[in-house]
Amino acid sequence: MNLTIDKIALLLGMSLMLIGLWGGFTQKNLLKIILSFSIFDTGLNILIVALGYLPGRTAPIIDGSAVTPENLALVAIDPVPQALVLTAIVIGFGTTALLLAYALKLNQHKKSLDINQFTDLKW
Amino acid sequence: MGEKIVYAIIAVFIMLNYGFLVNGVIRRIYARVGRRIGVPIYQMYIDLFKSWGLRTNIRHGTMFYLGPIFRLTGGIGLFLFMPAVYGLALFTNFSFSGDLLLLLSFQFFGTLGMALGASESGHPNSAIGVTRGLAQMTAVEVPFILAIMAVAIQYDSLSLTEIIAQQQGGFLNWTLFTNPLATAAALLAMLGAMMRAPFDVVLAPQEIPIGPPTEYHSNYMVFLQSNRAIFPLAKSILFMNLFFGGATTIVMMLVKTFILLMWPVLVGVSFPRFRVEQSIRWFLRVPMIIGLLGIAYVHFFLK
Amino acid sequence: MVSPFYILIVGLGLGFLLGMTGKKQAALTNMLTLFAMAFFTGVSLHWIQGLYTGAFQPSMVFSAGFKPPFSISLFLGMHEAVISLMINVLGLISVWYFREFLLRDSKPLGAVLLVMFMGLNMLVFTRDLFNIFVFLEITAISMSGIILMNDNHHAHAAGFKYLLASSLISAFYLLGAVLIYFSTGSLYLDDILTMKSAFAPMALIAVFLMVIAIVIELKPFPANGWALDVYEAAHPGIGAIVSGAVTTTMLFLLNKILVLGSDKIYLLTASVGALTFLFSNWMGLQQKNPNRLLGYSSIGQVGLVLAILGMKPVLGDGVEMIGFGVLLTHFLAKAGLFWLSGTVKGSSLESWAILRNNPVILTIFGIFVFALSAFPPFPSFYAKWELIIGLSGTGNYLLIALILLGSLFEVIYLFRWFGIVVKAESEESDSGIEWGKAAGPALFALALLAGGYFARNYLSAPDMMNFIPLVAVVVLWVLDFMPAWAKNTLLLAMVGIYSWFYLPQYSDYQLIFGIIFMAGAVLTLLYGYSEKGKRPGFYPLTAMMFAGLIMLVEATTLFGFFFAWEVMTAGSYFLILRGKKSQPHALSYMLFSFGGALLILAGFAMAHAVTGLWTLDALVMDSPLSPVIFIMLTLGFLTKTAAIGLHIWLPGAHSEAEADVSPMVSGILLKAGVYGLIVLFMRMGTQYIGGVDLMVILSWVGILSALIGNLMAAMQEDMKRLLAYSSVGQLGYILFGLSMMSNLGWLLAISGAIMHFLYKTMLFQAVGGVYSRTHDRMMYRMGGLIFRMPMTFIVVLIGIIALSGVPPLSGFAGKWLSFNAVLQKEYYLQGALAVLAGAVAFLYLFRLIHAPFLGQLKDNLRKVKEASLWILLPQYLVIAVIMAVSTVPGLLLERIGKLLAKTFPDGGLLWVDSKIPFGARTAISEYGYWNGTYVMLVTIGIFGILLIVQLLMQRNNKKVGQFNIVYSGERPSTPETTHHAYNFYAHYSKALGFLMVPLAERFWTWISERVHDIAHQLRQLYNGNGQVYLMHIMFFFLVCYFLINGGF
Repeated sequence: MNLTIDKIALLLGMSLMLIGLWGGFTQKNLLKIILSFSIFDTGLNILIVALGYLPGRTAPIIDGSAVTPENLALVAIDPVPQALVLTAIVIGFGTTALLLAYALKLNQHKKSLDINQFTDLKW
Repeated sequence: MGEKIVYAIIAVFIMLNYGFLVNGVIRRIYARVGRRIGVPIYQMYIDLFKSWGLRTNIRHGTMFYLGPIFRLTGGIGLFLFMPAVYGLALFTNFSFSGDLLLLLSFQFFGTLGMALGASESGHPNSAIGVTRGLAQMTAVEVPFILAIMAVAIQYDSLSLTEIIAQQQGGFLNWTLFTNPLATAAALLAMLGAMMRAPFDVVLAPQEIPIGPPTEYHSNYMVFLQSNRAIFPLAKSILFMNLFFGGATTIVMMLVKTFILLMWPVLVGVSFPRFRVEQSIRWFLRVPMIIGLLGIAYVHFFLK
Repeated sequence: MVSPFYILIVGLGLGFLLGMTGKKQAALTNMLTLFAMAFFTGVSLHWIQGLYTGAFQPSMVFSAGFKPPFSISLFLGMHEAVISLMINVLGLISVWYFREFLLRDSKPLGAVLLVMFMGLNMLVFTRDLFNIFVFLEITAISMSGIILMNDNHHAHAAGFKYLLASSLISAFYLLGAVLIYFSTGSLYLDDILTMKSAFAPMALIAVFLMVIAIVIELKPFPANGWALDVYEAAHPGIGAIVSGAVTTTMLFLLNKILVLGSDKIYLLTASVGALTFLFSNWMGLQQKNPNRLLGYSSIGQVGLVLAILGMKPVLGDGVEMIGFGVLLTHFLAKAGLFWLSGTVKGSSLESWAILRNNPVILTIFGIFVFALSAFPPFPSFYAKWELIIGLSGTGNYLLIALILLGSLFEVIYLFRWFGIVVKAESEESDSGIEWGKAAGPALFALALLAGGYFARNYLSAPDMMNFIPLVAVVVLWVLDFMPAWAKNTLLLAMVGIYSWFYLPQYSDYQLIFGIIFMAGAVLTLLYGYSEKGKRPGFYPLTAMMFAGLIMLVEATTLFGFFFAWEVMTAGSYFLILRGKKSQPHALSYMLFSFGGALLILAGFAMAHAVTGLWTLDALVMDSPLSPVIFIMLTLGFLTKTAAIGLHIWLPGAHSEAEADVSPMVSGILLKAGVYGLIVLFMRMGTQYIGGVDLMVILSWVGILSALIGNLMAAMQEDMKRLLAYSSVGQLGYILFGLSMMSNLGWLLAISGAIMHFLYKTMLFQAVGGVYSRTHDRMMYRMGGLIFRMPMTFIVVLIGIIALSGVPPLSGFAGKWLSFNAVLQKEYYLQGALAVLAGAVAFLYLFRLIHAPFLGQLKDNLRKVKEASLWILLPQYLVIAVIMAVSTVPGLLLERIGKLLAKTFPDGGLLWVDSKIPFGARTAISEYGYWNGTYVMLVTIGIFGILLIVQLLMQRNNKKVGQFNIVYSGERPSTPETTHHAYNFYAHYSKALGFLMVPLAERFWTWISERVHDIAHQLRQLYNGNGQVYLMHIMFFFLVCYFLINGGF
């Protein structure tokens, strides 16, 4: 199997997602958990971009020569996934910021960042 | 209807006097067993007139006053709702009012009224006697009703007249011989109903004034004594009709009831006394099982 | 036509603007937020009105004039408009609810709220799958933002867990949305839908991912720990938004996307939903914190809607309406309850007791609880009916069982809570209710009632019911401010007028039970005149119970019967709850009744599935299922008649109820169960399971109820408990009679039902009269009351003679019929036990009259007066009836016999004329004969003669004082020691105590403890650790994945 750029990106994306999940499930420090989620998000975004990449195609810019409105669907790469990823990145940013704000508030109260400290509510 | 009422009054009069005499005889028997001479057999009359003659009598309240009347109504009613002598207008009584079940239920009319009257006196011993009596009665009912049921199944009827009719034609037709198990259950139950040892803890007549009649005296006592004369007789007539072929003449009726009355006396003089819980357990064991066997016998062999 | 885009524009625009205002402009901010939310609501209303009148067509709106996939597409039809209206109204009230925060704090709460509700609206409208992702994230982020604004560190911890979970969920969704795009080349829902039949494997996975993401958003068991914490810790206003608005949106969204899914995905959704409903409610049993309890309840209800939506391939499009019914109830009730929670300080169930200081608030709370429990007339009731009918039609019995069990658990904790609120000792008594905070709940409670009114239109069953009796409830509710005597008169008049017009239309069994119910109403209401004051709430509830009973006998359809049954249960529950110490007993009454009602519902549904009929004749069937249906319905009715084993609610409920409620719930209400059994037995007849005649089993149940009920009655010291146990016994006789399925058996049962009604009404009233004077129910503490209350004594005297079956009073008819029927049916063993039970009845009856009325009068009772006239009047009316029926039994028995001849032509009584005039006739059975008139005349004759003799014989008869008894020449010390009444039948319990071991009570206690233990074990899942919750989500996801895509 040829290790082309898109395959590498796919593998990278998946690995990052798995690393992120592993971190999210095992790390006890709030900040590390948040970081793991960021890694997970990044991996997901890379994955999506990689899935959208089709080898041998060009950028979806209708310049009238290589890409025309007629052959757009055949020669150009679909721009939609990248647009989606762009949105997802923005949203991921928002989420991370909020998570950090929570971490700050939680730390202010208990002077700790250990997630095991915040189990007062249960059952 | 008028003639029926006259007949009934005559019948009740005869039975009352017969009852007094029989009770005198029984007291004598008890005395003889205890190696005493005992009272004359007309002692009951002496007691009656003595009670009647008391100059004052008191009452604790209305129910207390009515108690003995309820009691005697129960006794006389039980007698009057049965045909005492088969085929004799004088002793057919008001048996057309209802069947066997009426009798079974009506015997509690007096019990209940008496219990109420005795309770109103406020004497603790009266209430104790009543609880004992009621408790024991519930257990006695079971073998008795099983026996009755066996009889009803056997003769396909609840009408006493019909049951007697089917037993006519020789003593082998008596339920005693056609269904001895049911008869045995009923006779054992009869012991409990007759207030004699070993089931006489209700009245406990020998030692202390206990039991429902504790507070009764004077002419109340007349009523209660009269009831003690007629009520056991009425019950033995019932047993006679159910198990011993009934009676076709007055004399036969008197003889049969006398013999039947001797059965609890015989047991009574021979045995000591049960406590209430003991007698309840006893009735719900041996007699009940015999009663069930009696029904099974009728159900599987006679039908 | 206002484009829905304006919601987006206004929401986002104002959101950004308000974010920049400072503390000084707080009033302005608040105002603008309110206006914006009102604008949202206006848009929804505008669309609803337009769509309803036909001015608008359901339409798709595209952004910027492009077609998809290059634009955002919003669709607005009636469904969308209604859902958005719900959300926006909740938003509007939320802004109002939060106004003190908005005015006080500098935090931009208003802005975030606006953005959030904008997001929710868009989620409802949008048809673009990626858009959904965006708005999901917007709502999740703004929700977290709102939680962050709480000044509560518990809420912060909860919010953190919430946000972590949301991130994971949105990742699932995003992956799904992207994959579907790769697979189909579109993100536009309607385009993709056209390709559904040719989905590639990747598309299937994509759909799974999207669906499962939204399912997890809806908090399925066990992946829902993160949500519970939010419910518990966050401000109740947030709870209302999450539970009401967010859930509603998500469910609508799910329904939108689920269309893409295969039947397998539907099935998965349904199973997940049903399990969530069951387990969430189960765990709710252990909750002591009201907000967390509401959380469990929310999750459960949403699970139910999930289950319903998942049944779409099986049940068809009708499920949407059913789901909506449940959702609407949940939405209104949960939001309302969360808002109410904000007015309560303290975090225990008991602290809610302050609600009862205000009758209006208490009513609102009651409406929410009853709506959540699916009682009529709320939408959830109709939804429950339709759902069970539908499921049963398709044979999904397992699902029915799960759902019914779940709703039973829900009812347990809801009514435990309700009972505490109404009855428990209040921690703080006089803190007022903030009316501003109660406005929302009030509005939503009204909406629930309105919803129930409209829900009727969507009923698939014919709804031929006479709702007139319910009018009385409403009228009395409105007039509740009037004094008790006025309301009493009003209700009496209404009963009178109603029976004047409707009783003549009744026939057969309907007539008999109609008379019992209406005459019962009159008799028990007469007693009501003895009560002073206003008795707030009493009359509407009484009217509700009687309305239910009347509708029950009028019911001709399965639905009508069930509706009436539930109305009656609700009314009687409230009545029982009014007693001073009746809270636990009312709860156990409710649980048994509710469990029974569920069985009835399931039985009806199965019967309908078998025969396809809607009338009660649906029960006439011959199918392999009929024994099962028979058992379920019988058990359902037996809970109401308190057959042995199902009786444990009765003694407490009947004895702790108020004095005039006891005769209602004992003498009258129990007959509803009898009526149900008659309706059932008439139509289904004798059923067999494996060759065993079920009627024989029932005859044993009946006779054991009679025996054990009577034995237990004899052992009671409390006079009302004694009467209550006696009801168990008598209802046992009635069941025994019915189970014989013969003319005489039914004659026994029906005349027994009438007699029980008369005796119990009279005796409970007599006992109530005693209580009204002595304020005591322990019989041994009384004594000698015959001297103080002779009129009451006479009533009890007649009552016990009649009840014990001693001739010449009417009770003997029962004994006679019973024996004859037993002989006819050859039920010898049962017959013998019946006789024993009858003898035992003497014990408790004698005790009932001896201990309070006879014996020694106590010092503290020397001045008690006779019960009041209004208490005695109904009792003497009953005595008149009893004496008439005793003297001429044919009055009753011959008429019932004629009716029974239609059902059982053979084996009835023959009535022949006797020599005595005035219609005295002799009853002749196969075995014997009986003439009640003769017996009466002979008895009275003998008694009269003897009485005259006694009067003539006596000399100087005088009454003596209390202690003048033969006492060894002494005077007894005190009445207390002389009165022999305590532990009256000690010897009896010594002999037969083994029959009185409370096995049923132990059994149900054991069940209850185990159920609660399991609940406790289950909830250990939620250990509070956010990471563990993430693992739950992952685990849930993986299990679902493998279930759908194989791999196991």
